[in-house]
Amino acid sequence: MTPIWSKACLALLASAAIGLTTSAQAADDCPLPGNLRVVIGSTSTGGDTYQNSSIVVDQLAKKLDINAKVDAVGVMPAFQALERSRHGNTIMIFHDGAYLGNLYGVNGYPNIFDKYIVGPTIAINPGNAYLVPKDSPYQTLDDIMAAAGNGKQIRVAIQPGGVSEIGFSALKNAVRLKYPGKEGNIVAVNTGSQADKNQLLFDGAADVINGSVQANEQYTQLPADDQKAMRFVWITARHDTIAQTEAAGMGDTSREQLLQYVTPNVKVPMGDGQDFTFDKEFFFLYNKDMDPAAVKCIDTALADIYDQGEIQKQQKRSFFIPDFKPSAQAATYLEKKSEEYRTIIDDLKS
Amino acid sequence: MDILSHLTPMFFTLIAAGTLIGIIFGAIPGMTATMAVAVCLPLTYAFGLVNGIALLLGLYVGGISGGMVPAVLLNIPGTPSSITTTFDGYPMAQRGEGERALKTGIVASIFGGLFSAAVLFFFAPVLADFAIKFSYVEKFLIILLALTVIASLCSNMLMGIFSGVLGVWLSLIGTYSITEGGNGEPRLMFDFMQYYLIDGFSLLPVLIGIFGLSTILLDAENGFADAPGQGRIKLKGGARFSFSIFKGQLVNLIRSSGIGTFVGMLPGVGGSAASVLAYSQEKNFSRDSSQMGKGAPQGIVASESSNNALTGGALVPLLSLGIPGDSTTAILIGAFTLQGIQVGPLFIGNNMDTWYLMIIALVAANVLMFGIMYFAIRHIAKVIEVPKYILYPLIVMMCVVGAYAINYGIMFDVWTLLIFGVFGYVAQKIGLEVVPLIIGFILGKSAEVYFVKSIESYGNLTIFFTKSPIAAFLWVLIAVSVAFAIYLRVRNRRRGASSLVE
Amino acid sequence: MDSHWLSLFDVTIDFSQSHLFFPRIVTTLLGILLVMILVTRYRRIVPALRHAGRVVGGREGNFDRKRFFGTLVLVTLYFYLMGVLSDVFPNTGYSFLIMSVLFVFSLSLLYAERLSRRILLIITLNALIAPAIAWYVLAQLFRITLP
Repeated sequence: MTPIWSKACLALLASAAIGLTTSAQAADDCPLPGNLRVVIGSTSTGGDTYQNSSIVVDQLAKKLDINAKVDAVGVMPAFQALERSRHGNTIMIFHDGAYLGNLYGVNGYPNIFDKYIVGPTIAINPGNAYLVPKDSPYQTLDDIMAAAGNGKQIRVAIQPGGVSEIGFSALKNAVRLKYPGKEGNIVAVNTGSQADKNQLLFDGAADVINGSVQANEQYTQLPADDQKAMRFVWITARHDTIAQTEAAGMGDTSREQLLQYVTPNVKVPMGDGQDFTFDKEFFFLYNKDMDPAAVKCIDTALADIYDQGEIQKQQKRSFFIPDFKPSAQAATYLEKKSEEYRTIIDDLKS
Repeated sequence: MDILSHLTPMFFTLIAAGTLIGIIFGAIPGMTATMAVAVCLPLTYAFGLVNGIALLLGLYVGGISGGMVPAVLLNIPGTPSSITTTFDGYPMAQRGEGERALKTGIVASIFGGLFSAAVLFFFAPVLADFAIKFSYVEKFLIILLALTVIASLCSNMLMGIFSGVLGVWLSLIGTYSITEGGNGEPRLMFDFMQYYLIDGFSLLPVLIGIFGLSTILLDAENGFADAPGQGRIKLKGGARFSFSIFKGQLVNLIRSSGIGTFVGMLPGVGGSAASVLAYSQEKNFSRDSSQMGKGAPQGIVASESSNNALTGGALVPLLSLGIPGDSTTAILIGAFTLQGIQVGPLFIGNNMDTWYLMIIALVAANVLMFGIMYFAIRHIAKVIEVPKYILYPLIVMMCVVGAYAINYGIMFDVWTLLIFGVFGYVAQKIGLEVVPLIIGFILGKSAEVYFVKSIESYGNLTIFFTKSPIAAFLWVLIAVSVAFAIYLRVRNRRRGASSLVE
Repeated sequence: MDSHWLSLFDVTIDFSQSHLFFPRIVTTLLGILLVMILVTRYRRIVPALRHAGRVVGGREGNFDRKRFFGTLVLVTLYFYLMGVLSDVFPNTGYSFLIMSVLFVFSLSLLYAERLSRRILLIITLNALIAPAIAWYVLAQLFRITLP
């Protein structure tokens, strides 16, 4: 019995040693570790953050010839892992929720522009949407705003403190501008998952819910007499963003139909003559002390990948809009974006 | 006949491979079905939709079933939903009936699995429409019902209830999570603890700490039962398995499978509630429940048929609403989206072939699970002959892997293991009851969310009674469950007294 | 006025304070139960504590202090050093592998009844092979992140 054991042991040690040599090297000009860990700000491996990150990280690992692994640890553990990793062994991918949490004053969210290096943007999820029951009296978002202006209470189911709330805040702000003093009629029903938001709509405990094109499109195809039937009233993405989706759109809703729900068809004024839009963008975050050469290396590798054009097809198949900006550009862009939203949120607070 | 072309040897090989790997994951303390599905998710991309799903369903069924193995042999539940299997499984193993207990569990498992697959196949859309009638209020009442079960499971009423409430209290430590609709503010802790406890304690490390590590500490304190003269677990010697165990168990099987399927269907209630509910209903309603908790096969039947019935149940909302019923099906959604398939109310109608193939895969996984486990059990059961100085260090090691990996690599979860290992040890020394505590811990967070959100929505406490006929019916169940628990306790006390007199 | 008495049950929860609502109820309940337990069995507590002190101190019963505290110390060291070492070998699982070999070996030594040559050999092989298999299968094949 013993000789077999020791043989098995030897074989294992040998293979371990091989694993060691192949994983320890990467390109010389690229001070990235052979084993890169990518933490994401979501705990779900079925969600858009994981899906998007795994598409990009797979390509990146191939390009740089390293091992990379996406770990769905969630927001706070991801921030913590990022802070501990000064040598760039761990990097993070997340979306606008990273700074929105800070703007909404959610406990534990730092100012990412101060505390980390904002890396490249990689894609947009254009699907952030608001829906009503199919038999709702409100046909359009204008109806909803007018009803609120007329003193009717509108309950909107959202998940507080992030991407789900920003559209709600913009709506409330638009009512404030159009019917000053009436914005209190737009009321948040704070809840959790998409399932909970849908449930509130089925129960009649919410008039409008935040949802997504991906998760709710099939509900919009149900016959009107079905309790579960819904209707889109607003998609927060920019017109240009939706215009880049595949012509077939999502499910039985074509791109043409989706475009009906974005600006300028659906207007949510922001005050300075502009309409509010929100694209949920995914981007990298690095530790403040990460080697600039490593930052540059990932930028270059991603630029190469996006130049080849294969990744765009993959992203579009999964209803993401490719959106690569190298880190410096991305940082300025996202900081500007966050300032815009800060104004809305602060105006509502006062 | 597009379906037949998918029924390739590859299809069935992947189901078998998935089931086997799932069983192994489920059988190792600390590793769970969810983990098995999560680590194999990236593989599905290479296999294509149908074969990928086949693999994942195999892992799911295998993982849930495998959890009974350590529950019976080591008194450590391999997955949270096999807690109730330990109640009767371990006492049987101590009598030398480990193999008999496991075989009983396997037969109950395949019954539960096939039952729920049939329910899924025939009634999915109808049941989904029924499930959405359960709003915050009704879900809270289901959880309350599961919590009242504590009264019939504990040996001392006051200590049991205290332990249950303590479990709820422990589960609330951390922030009121914004992903559940909370406000993200911390409570029940000091500021300096926030760095680690912002997301609270995770269930799996708590569970394996209390059941795994504290068991090891208790044994270490005794200097090991391996010493001659002490009651070491025997492999043979007790009664043998025969199908006659199932005589008179049909009601139990159907009731428990029904409970499992139904609880699986309700997103957010938590699959572990299913086996707890099924177990206590058997205890309350069977003609003779006096042996339950001391090694009665009927307890294993209730527990294992209900936890395997979860699989089909949890797929109901996934496939007919696009909403996962539990943590494992939440990962299955990823498999669909990776392949560009939308899940929602139109899924079944739009993807008839995939739907039929999933049912075939689910049935095949259950049959293969039965085949693999039934014939391998004799060898698996030998685990208890491994000396503890070899076995225990390995269990600790695997618990570390499980704790670390459950949230994809968080060191604090490993420390949670130690904290709750020591806590579980002390708790048992001072007479706290571990099972009510864990049930409270599992259900505490959802209880909070549904309770607080119900009040936020309606602003009045009477809503819990007046919301719907379903709510009223659930109150009746709660009342009956409590009354039975008290009745059984009084009756047992009388019997105990009268037997003393004799 | 049917709805009049119903309004007695009105409860409003301020969202910014909603994190405290349920915990307060549970804490109160826990406190009440604790008092009940203390009242009904306070007489048993002090003797029980004294007995526990004697047992842990080794003056009574057969409490195996070496194995019990040895387990606690080893597990604590295992977890602590694994965390430290994982910063040296980030994202490879080597820290898990190395520490597990040492831990499994030491704990086996602590638990073994008597040490013959044969048992020592089994313990050593087990400590080398089992963590290696676990590491290889989980970290390499399944790509699970290990410390």
